[in-house]
Amino acid sequence: MAIEISRRKFLQGSVALSVIGGTSIGVSPLFSEEEEHGELSITTKTGTGKAKLVPTLCEMCVNKCAAIARVENGIVTKLDPNPMFPKSKNMLCARGNAGIQALYDPDRLKYPMIRVGKKGEGKFKRVTWDEAYTAILKGTDKFSGMEKILDEEQDNRSSFLFCAGEGMAEHTFKTFYGAFGSANWLNHSSICLQTVSSAYNLTLGAYPGADLKNATYVIMAGANRAEAIVTPDTMTLFKNTKGKGTKLICIDPRFTNTAVKADKWLPINPGTDLAFVLALTYVVLKEELYNKEYVEANFNDFEIYKNHIISHGYTPEWAEKITTIPAKEVYTIAREFMQHAPKAIYYPGRRSTFAANDFQLRRAMAIFQALGGGIDSKGGLVFGKKLELGTHEGLAPLYFQAASRAVQEVDRGEGKPGYDDCAIVTEGGSWLAWRDRFLENRMPYKVRGMFVYKHNPILNMPNTKKSIDMMKRMELAVVIDTMPSDTVMYADVVLPECTYLERTDPVNTFGGVEPSIAQRNKVIEPMYESKPVIEILRGLTQKISKPLFEITKKHDMDVQDMMSKITPTLSTATEDANMTEDSNTTMSMAPKSEEDIFAEFDISLPFKESQEKINEHMVHELYGEEGVKALKEHGVFYPNMKQYFKQVSANEFQYYPENEKAYSVNNGAPKTESGKVECNLAFLTEKGNDSMPTWKNSFAFVVPKGKFRMLTGRHAQYTQTGTTNNSVLHDLMPSNYIWINKKIAEEMEIEFGDEVEVSSPTGKVTIKAYPTEQIAPNVTFFIHGFGSQSEELTWAYQNGANDNTVIEDKVEPVYGAASMHETNVEIRKV
Amino acid sequence: MATYGMALDYKNCINCKACEVACKEENGIELGAEKHRIWVGGNEPDGIWPLLSMASASFMPSQCQQCQDAPCEEVCPTHATYYDDRGIVRVDPDKCILCSYCMNACPYDARYVDSRTMTVDKCNFCSDTRLARGETTTACQATCPTKVRVFGDLDDPNSEISILLRTREHFTLKTHLGTRPKLFYMT
Repeated sequence: MAIEISRRKFLQGSVALSVIGGTSIGVSPLFSEEEEHGELSITTKTGTGKAKLVPTLCEMCVNKCAAIARVENGIVTKLDPNPMFPKSKNMLCARGNAGIQALYDPDRLKYPMIRVGKKGEGKFKRVTWDEAYTAILKGTDKFSGMEKILDEEQDNRSSFLFCAGEGMAEHTFKTFYGAFGSANWLNHSSICLQTVSSAYNLTLGAYPGADLKNATYVIMAGANRAEAIVTPDTMTLFKNTKGKGTKLICIDPRFTNTAVKADKWLPINPGTDLAFVLALTYVVLKEELYNKEYVEANFNDFEIYKNHIISHGYTPEWAEKITTIPAKEVYTIAREFMQHAPKAIYYPGRRSTFAANDFQLRRAMAIFQALGGGIDSKGGLVFGKKLELGTHEGLAPLYFQAASRAVQEVDRGEGKPGYDDCAIVTEGGSWLAWRDRFLENRMPYKVRGMFVYKHNPILNMPNTKKSIDMMKRMELAVVIDTMPSDTVMYADVVLPECTYLERTDPVNTFGGVEPSIAQRNKVIEPMYESKPVIEILRGLTQKISKPLFEITKKHDMDVQDMMSKITPTLSTATEDANMTEDSNTTMSMAPKSEEDIFAEFDISLPFKESQEKINEHMVHELYGEEGVKALKEHGVFYPNMKQYFKQVSANEFQYYPENEKAYSVNNGAPKTESGKVECNLAFLTEKGNDSMPTWKNSFAFVVPKGKFRMLTGRHAQYTQTGTTNNSVLHDLMPSNYIWINKKIAEEMEIEFGDEVEVSSPTGKVTIKAYPTEQIAPNVTFFIHGFGSQSEELTWAYQNGANDNTVIEDKVEPVYGAASMHETNVEIRKV
Repeated sequence: MATYGMALDYKNCINCKACEVACKEENGIELGAEKHRIWVGGNEPDGIWPLLSMASASFMPSQCQQCQDAPCEEVCPTHATYYDDRGIVRVDPDKCILCSYCMNACPYDARYVDSRTMTVDKCNFCSDTRLARGETTTACQATCPTKVRVFGDLDDPNSEISILLRTREHFTLKTHLGTRPKLFYMT
């Protein structure tokens, strides 16, 4: 009586549907149909017969854990952990396991589409790939084409913005941005790791890893490794806490799952961690507990920093008033840390920017760590090794007409140049500041179109309304994605990418104590008409290269100059044969034809080869056939893998023998240019910022009576907006809930599950309440990623609340990162 | 023949629910929050903010305890619930009449109704999937980030589980009921 509804049946159902979709050119059904959802409410039991096992890398979050896909009759039935990858150490989390539901999500983008309704209305028409590319170039009656925009902007390639989320193929898209010739690139960094990675880079010369395996004392403040999983940190740490060798001190405004697994949890006022670290530093300097030998050899401006900390009076008693952490706890932690050092870690963390002082907080953390000498050493912060990869040629045409990045230098009041948004503009840019300049018409030139890849700015940027306004004002918005996200709804042209299980991505190298190279191998062929981004860009660039060259010819004086120098020769056949070897030689020679000149402007060149071939080339160059073969067969490669890799027990594996692990690669010294820990960065004062971590009264935690400080965060079962439509994950937590202190909730007569309205100056949302003792009376929290308004997402549509509707778009002053924990909200029962 | 059991280093559990999803995907378990063979229990911490008890909030991964004297097997009128030759308590869907006696008898709340097969389903240590293919781990063990579970043969003194049970203190759930579970929680 076994009633097995197989996933194959579901697929047959949806394939049949796609044929119907294909015959009607109408508006629907481009997305899923209701009967499909019924069919999808199943999982497939793995079989005992023939199966193909394909090693791949997960893309359900940023970690890129190694997985082995089980394929039965062309259907992916299971994703198992691949034990061979040192980074993910034989594990796959809930999201990793649920990758199957991402692959077979009935709501997936299936076909190229062009907008036929109003912007944001979500009305699209299915088209062929060629029609989609043509629409990008020529436009339709609903939106402008690239040709028109570029011609009117006199070939200013910077009139197009390119933005991308994180991913293994982000670089492929970035190559397109570079070849296209725009200067406007915005990626996830300013809502991601910008301040933490930059601060550690400037202070220690690298954003280091943490050897949690050998550390005996760990301070984890503002990081929640039990819920925001980072491999291998999460797995390593929690096998060692709770009386198993590592003492864990958790500092968090919430009682998180990390707090549950810690030895001590101390709640702190949001945004005041800097005061806590300064007080730890004060104790260590005042009591002279620091590693004097290490400091002597490896610090720049130590005395200046010491004087700075002591003279400011950053005492534990001072910090207690700011943070709520009792002074005696600060004394204890500072002393314990230095007793355990160098096998003690102040965990650097891996998160977005929460407060205006985030950059200086990370600097203070890095310096405090270094005071114990736990740098580039076993049990401390580690730089590790990175295995090199071979090269693959890109292409970077330069356009005479292309304007530089749309940022403006201003006088910051101290006679020194800076930018009007923030002190330092990095490659990834400041998303929020760029958006403001665009919306407030403060651009040095017009930006009229945008390309978006694997990125959902409508939901992911604080102040949702502004992102919507921005998308609406773009005359041509092209979005490449796998799912009909809220951002896709505001697109003019939608190009469906296949999921990670249907493509081979650029081979990648993963540095650390146990470095390796890993590759995401294609598990099954792309479903529907979806394609990997490299193929999408191949088709698009082949279509647009020539027409764009025509525009360049019209406006670019350099090209016009080259055109005037065309000297046709007779013996073209032999010349051509010579030219293929060295393109530099051809550049220096006078062009023989227009084709010669165009060759430099043919932006399809970087996408000519298949990803498989490019990877092979990059690996073969350095590691030969052995490397290429290992990546295909095991998904992972590192020199001596065959010899080193061993199973130790049912659950544990050895990747490198202990004496081959890269605990120390720089003799314990920081990797800064000076070779020293940089306590005092004088150039920052020139840019209007503090040269040393300094507390300012404006950093104080202030919440007016009756309001709450809004916190957001991550979750072990959801990765931002990318997974909220996953049917299996939906079972684990059907929606997001707002944390409200139990006593306050009682006073407000709010019970579990009651709907409450959360409002701030930027907007309001409705969400279900979760009264709990795990949060302070004047703080509130809900996880990011919910509250989608895209009707095409069965599980995510209007499910829960979007934090960014209420989070104000405050910009951190050093890098222009979004400062996400600075909004006070009102809550009322509805 | 072997006697299979499982040891759980439950203090490693971070409640990430990887095991729950791996089990569903491996064994084709019906979707729905209430339909699961394994789960992780968690408590709100005792105390009042900010004085909260950390120990009270620990996580408890759970599933069918694979009792050696299983109440569900005893009460089953059709012998749909049975012991296989490796000591694993299993369910024969062809014999199950959905009387639900087993659900009431189980002290661990480990049984649920699969509405597709109309069977009272439960964990069978991946008997008809992974073990049938000759694999030596269950889906929940293999996928676990912090490596809570060790599955193995209790009859083999040299098996990892046997060594663990000799060298680590452990307990079983609801010992007083005399069900003699083969799931062992290590302290």
